[in-house]
Amino acid sequence: MTSLDLLLILSGLTTLAGFAFGNHRAYPWLAGIVLTAQIVILASMPLPMAAGFGFEMFGHPVGWQMDGFGRFFALITLGAALASVAYTGGEWGERYAAGGKNLRWLHGALAGNVLAMLLLLASGDLIAFFIGWELTSWAGFLLMAQGGERALRAAMRYVPYAMAGAMAVLGGLVLSLTWTGTLDLSQLVMLVPGLANWKLALLLALFGTGFAIKMGLLPVHLWQTPAYAEAPGAATAFLGAISSRMGLFGFGLLLVKLITLTRLADLSFIDGLFSARDLIEWVAALTIVLPTFTALKQNDARYLLAWHGIGQSGYMLLGLVIGDATGSAGGLLHVFNHATYQAALVLSVFAVMHRTGTADLNSMGGLVTRMPLTFLVMLLGIIGLAGLPPMNGFVSKWLIYRSLMIEGRPLLFLMTVLGTLGTILSVYKLIHNTFLGQLRAEHEQIREAPWSMLVPMLALVALAFVTGVAPGLALNYVNEAQAALGLPVMAHTLGGVESPRGSLDMLWIVGVLFAGFGIGALLFYGAGGRSKRIHQLDNYAGGHFLSADVRYQYSDHFYAGLMHRIGPLYRGSFTQMEAALASANDLLASLMQAWYRQAVPALTLLIATVLGLAWMIWR
Amino acid sequence: MNMIELLTELAVMPLIAFTIGLFMVLMMRKIAAKIQRRVGPPLLQPLYDIVKLYAKKTQNSHGLVHDIGIIMAVGGYIAAETMLPVPGMNGIAAKSGLLALAYVIMIPSLGLALGVGQCANPNGSIGIARALTAMLAYDVPFVIIIFGASWFYGSNNLIDIVAHQQAGGIATWGAAKMPVLAIAALFSMYAMLGKQPFEIYVAPAEIATGPMVEMGGKYLGGLFVMQCFQLFTASAIYVTMFLGGGENWPFFLVKLFAIIAIPMSMAFVFPRYRTEDVLAVVWRWPVLLGLAGVWLVMH
Amino acid sequence: MSTLKNIPVVSHEKPSGGTGNLLANVFDELMAFCRSRSLFMLHYCTGCGAIELPPAMTSRFDMERLGIQPMVTPRQADILLVTGYVSTKTLKRIILTYEQMNSPKYVIGICSCTVNGGMYWQSYATAKKLNDYLPVDMYIAGCMPRPEAVIHGLRELMENIKKGESDNWRDYYRRYDHYLGNQQRLFGENWQTPTDIIGEARHYDLMGPETLGPHTALLEQHQTPLKPFEMTLGLADLPVRKDEPR
Ligand code: SF4
Repeated sequence: MTSLDLLLILSGLTTLAGFAFGNHRAYPWLAGIVLTAQIVILASMPLPMAAGFGFEMFGHPVGWQMDGFGRFFALITLGAALASVAYTGGEWGERYAAGGKNLRWLHGALAGNVLAMLLLLASGDLIAFFIGWELTSWAGFLLMAQGGERALRAAMRYVPYAMAGAMAVLGGLVLSLTWTGTLDLSQLVMLVPGLANWKLALLLALFGTGFAIKMGLLPVHLWQTPAYAEAPGAATAFLGAISSRMGLFGFGLLLVKLITLTRLADLSFIDGLFSARDLIEWVAALTIVLPTFTALKQNDARYLLAWHGIGQSGYMLLGLVIGDATGSAGGLLHVFNHATYQAALVLSVFAVMHRTGTADLNSMGGLVTRMPLTFLVMLLGIIGLAGLPPMNGFVSKWLIYRSLMIEGRPLLFLMTVLGTLGTILSVYKLIHNTFLGQLRAEHEQIREAPWSMLVPMLALVALAFVTGVAPGLALNYVNEAQAALGLPVMAHTLGGVESPRGSLDMLWIVGVLFAGFGIGALLFYGAGGRSKRIHQLDNYAGGHFLSADVRYQYSDHFYAGLMHRIGPLYRGSFTQMEAALASANDLLASLMQAWYRQAVPALTLLIATVLGLAWMIWR
Repeated sequence: MNMIELLTELAVMPLIAFTIGLFMVLMMRKIAAKIQRRVGPPLLQPLYDIVKLYAKKTQNSHGLVHDIGIIMAVGGYIAAETMLPVPGMNGIAAKSGLLALAYVIMIPSLGLALGVGQCANPNGSIGIARALTAMLAYDVPFVIIIFGASWFYGSNNLIDIVAHQQAGGIATWGAAKMPVLAIAALFSMYAMLGKQPFEIYVAPAEIATGPMVEMGGKYLGGLFVMQCFQLFTASAIYVTMFLGGGENWPFFLVKLFAIIAIPMSMAFVFPRYRTEDVLAVVWRWPVLLGLAGVWLVMH
Repeated sequence: MSTLKNIPVVSHEKPSGGTGNLLANVFDELMAFCRSRSLFMLHYCTGCGAIELPPAMTSRFDMERLGIQPMVTPRQADILLVTGYVSTKTLKRIILTYEQMNSPKYVIGICSCTVNGGMYWQSYATAKKLNDYLPVDMYIAGCMPRPEAVIHGLRELMENIKKGESDNWRDYYRRYDHYLGNQQRLFGENWQTPTDIIGEARHYDLMGPETLGPHTALLEQHQTPLKPFEMTLGLADLPVRKDEPR
């Protein structure tokens, strides 16, 4: 038995255990230990590692093999699962169960997701890949559907997308089999780049659609926000952290490994001016900007974060497709970084929900005095999400900016920065409306979230901070992934990058930053007079006497001036497009229905019978 | 360079920046006074203000985050100053670069935003919302310019950029080599300084000075200090990118003050834009100029 | 009735004056100097007198050369300028504004109306003597005083501050009961502001013989407590909300 077998078996057992006794108090501990063990096994596994099992299907061997690219994603998956299980393990899970929901299903589905993703990430050929793909989709559906009625509706919205994606991937699989005669990834790598341009384009379109749907790329991103936002707390964190990255994993295999980036650049639409590579870059860039500015308009913290999840995935794809050492390292590193802070952010939002019962950004405020640690988590999380030093989100974005600079792509660079700026605006609104401003009278008596929830959140932001100060720690795994994909490997130091054209040393930057804060604190506390805490109602209101029954808080329509300018640009085109597609589909379906059932049932029956008979005779 | 030398630089650079910043504030107020035919404040007025504010007997804090916000606002700039090379001192410029600097100077603004948020005053929150909107406005041209400059110099390292410009005197200055970008940068820096007509987030008569509404004593003093740093930083970044950086102190100072004087001599004759108009103006002219400049640089 | 003696033009103990600690004295002098040279002013334009302030601030007389500039909110300001008659309703706001300012703070009453009610002396709706409700540091009389007079008054105030003589703000803490009593007589016994003067006096060690008294006792009966929300983990001390969502 190889260690990959062990990894998968452990995952399978956890899934079974989750479904069987996930509501038992010991389960989270058990799952936590198993997941930790899995992380250790995975991290210490020599690569590439093949599974000891496998089978044949239609004459093609189906097998599993983990390489550096898969391991990078798998480690994040296991880490996210660990945080989610720990979060669910304590008071949160108890209340979830007390609310009449099924904890066994939640734990089972979570562990099932991990299993499915591991199968996908370790796939050695396209059949294994497809099996993993389908399992991931359905396990994802199971997890999304746990959160009650709205969640179920959102999950149902995902189903047609998932099916369409699966069909597209299956189509791509069949075509590549027809054209190359093999499904084994190691052989496909050699054969696919030799295919004719139109064949590559078709493969790109089919696989690309499937992956884009999973990843939530524009324009097929609409399912993701409600599905992720409405899922129960830990599930949302897990989904947001890693689930849709499976699409990126697929893109990595497809674009970099199979088609290769040079061939991708050959597929030009307008001779030499606009290639498939440009197209993907621009789709990624638009995926950064548009969802980010949609997030800006959200009034529900969970939806806001879910939209940002879509937006940030654009950075990853963009970095990957630029494809130089720096850019691809940035793109891949962003997968890890995003997982850390996004999970922490989602968990902190759910911790606030746990205490206040709402995620509505217009009905909170001032919670920092009541939930200071949750505030700290959200603060560090938003600094990461916005991509500012000292958190890790800055490093990966810096790498992407830098590679766009080196490659000379001003417009794409502008789009990435625009995304970052939009994110800063949106996350400030998130933290302001939740934790800052006036504390509502009905929230005066609430408490900090329980430790069972705080510990995973704090651990996640601590990880995000440490890998921000010393990005070299995470970049080791990124280098492995780059090597496995055949990308140039970025040389790095513990603190970042060293290059004559501009290096980044986070150790120094963060060191100086904190020294600056230290001096600032010295000035503030040492040189300044003593201060006294005052009540929030002792506040400037033009001489007006404030009282607790009147809200003195600015939260709604937060960026009014900005919306005056860019508001008319929000036209809901994608929603309309989705609605149009759906109604076209409905129309088609009802026409068919009318055709065979109502209008001319006898004729339909006759035709069907004749055709059936003819087929049988012809055989 | 040995460690002690480096540490001295790290300590001295913010101090110098602050001192220069104080005189920039003075110059700004003097210019305003001259335009309005007044005498204006005495030489040490900015210092008096800061000392007095820090020395207030009673000070009002709205909570820990209020305090931390001010600490971050001042501390972030103290850190940023060590990344900006000045004549004879490079600090940690080689380890951070232009791009990182552009993001490090967002930290103080974030700190301020947090502190203001904790004040629980809607005027403050509106002010921050507007300040962030203004940031969204002026940072778009600013990053285009950063892109153009670092493409032109082939480097992101400020020391390289300065060395590149000083190689051939004025003829190799950024402003001589990429005049369009230099003009766009001046425009976007003007917007960055947040003076009329771009002072949407202070708006004293409308939102009661926005972010500063609940700031008194050392809190306001901290913001005054921050303003000194901000003026210096904006000017120094410009001089480093376009005016050959600092070859020696006298020239460097002249350039620094001149760069602040240009927008300030325009500012005080203007009323104030509305938020959406700031966006419209800044997203139109400097962005177009910047894109044109980048195109010129790249072709 | 009021005599001039009742108007407290008090000069309390100068902080550490002449105790021999040279360094501390120099430091205090320096602070006093900076304070006198940097005065941020909040003009509470209640009455006609306000019209004389723009000329005092702008090109003709230019207050900024003295280090005086207008500010917008009480937190930022050092001087509260009350520029004319003070109606009962306005006075409430003035008191709130004054209490929200950070000490050292100075009150200037511009116009005769703030001195003794002026031509509104007979009005039922105006407060007659500002000094009963707030510790006024400087009166600038006149109906209305010319900008020259305003500037002159401000220079006097600067002198006083430099000499350490203008610290009536301490008086407000030390004799809070007296001021509060006058306020209560005017506004009724339910009067309270959201500020916490007694707490401040305790915090900064500014308590005096008359900080507490019968009036503050009355205040405490009515006051809705305004304890600032301390940051807390709430692990033990806060009960879980009864209606906490399940
Ligand atoms: S003193 Fe004269 S000018 Fe001043 S407020 Fe009274 S009536 Fe008006």
